[in-house]
Amino acid sequence: MDYDKLLNLGAELGRQLMNSGAEIYRVEESVTRLLTAYGLEPQVFAIPNCLIVSVTGEDGKSVTRMCRIPAHGTDIELLERCNELCRYLCREVPPVEEAQAMVDRMAAGLQQYAPRTVLLGYVTAAAFFALFFNGSFRDCLAAALCGLAVGICVLFGQRFIGSNGFFRTVVCSAVISAAAILLVHMEIGENLDAVTIGTLMVLVPGMALTNAMREIMAGDIISGLSRTAEVILVATAIALGTAIPLMLTRSL
Amino acid sequence: MSELLTTYILPCLWAFWACVGFGLVFNIQGRGILICGLGAALGWLAYLLAMRFGIGDILSAFLAAMVIGAYSEIMARIRCCPVTGYLQVALLPLVPGKGIYQAMQYCVAGETQLFITSLLHTIGFAAALSVGAMLITSILRALFPRFQRGGK
Repeated sequence: MDYDKLLNLGAELGRQLMNSGAEIYRVEESVTRLLTAYGLEPQVFAIPNCLIVSVTGEDGKSVTRMCRIPAHGTDIELLERCNELCRYLCREVPPVEEAQAMVDRMAAGLQQYAPRTVLLGYVTAAAFFALFFNGSFRDCLAAALCGLAVGICVLFGQRFIGSNGFFRTVVCSAVISAAAILLVHMEIGENLDAVTIGTLMVLVPGMALTNAMREIMAGDIISGLSRTAEVILVATAIALGTAIPLMLTRSL
Repeated sequence: MSELLTTYILPCLWAFWACVGFGLVFNIQGRGILICGLGAALGWLAYLLAMRFGIGDILSAFLAAMVIGAYSEIMARIRCCPVTGYLQVALLPLVPGKGIYQAMQYCVAGETQLFITSLLHTIGFAAALSVGAMLITSILRALFPRFQRGGK
């Protein structure tokens, strides 16, 4: 049996799962199950930006593969496809080459929304969260415009803002805050708080904090703590970013 | 009747559409996006109803998270999909985004006392949500271990 190929298969599937934003326990369990189905006894360890898979062959020689996972968003479609494929592979156990080809094909043929549609998603989320936080219909309109601004920043601003997460969050939240102040000043929006927090919902790490707690409860302490640190960092960036336009308008 | 509309139906409707928007951002394809939105509306309704009984917001969040957890687990079993997507998006209206934002605002403004109070409250809220959702998953795992193989 070719351990290297099997190891690559497991690591690749695990990497895709990590990129889709799956929980740590799900990644570890899926890779373990896949390699067990191929008759190995794997050891898998994952933290948010690293995946280590190790197997021992019949000759007693052990092979290890480590993948570094870059910063990623959430992609539920990728997660569902990976999960489906993993279950299929565990059930059918096709030859390794075929399985590897299937994994590659899945990543290539993934359905994704056009940037336009994702932008619409940002606008919808911001507009309705403004209403949700007791905003009026005029606030909803203002938040939709702010959501458009932040969506453009996130989707197309990569080149100008750079890839540093902290700085990107500061810029995005400064844009939101400035746009909200401007729109309320122009009397399109009425309630500054509702517009700001409604739009900020697309940035605030509330989801990340809940996920961090879930990982700690599930026993993945290191992952949970590193995610908590990330939450604090992002929250600080948002607070700083929103404070800049507020200070500027006060001093003017 | 109008009280019913403004306190219960409209907020749930806003939560539904907001989460459909997030579904587009998180790349949820097909019918799943509506299921997530429905879960969000259901969870928020549960939260509002629990709040009405005056049991405090953290306990209400815990109950709402249990409702969302049960709903997501059922939907995940029916559609043979991982529960993660449904759970994450359906929990969105409840996640303490506002709390984190306010806490950090106090922190930047130098109001340490208010910062600590709101931070602890936010952490408690997030913990209630995660425990509520995990509890349902654990109970289902304990009750139906054979489901695990097919459903996960």
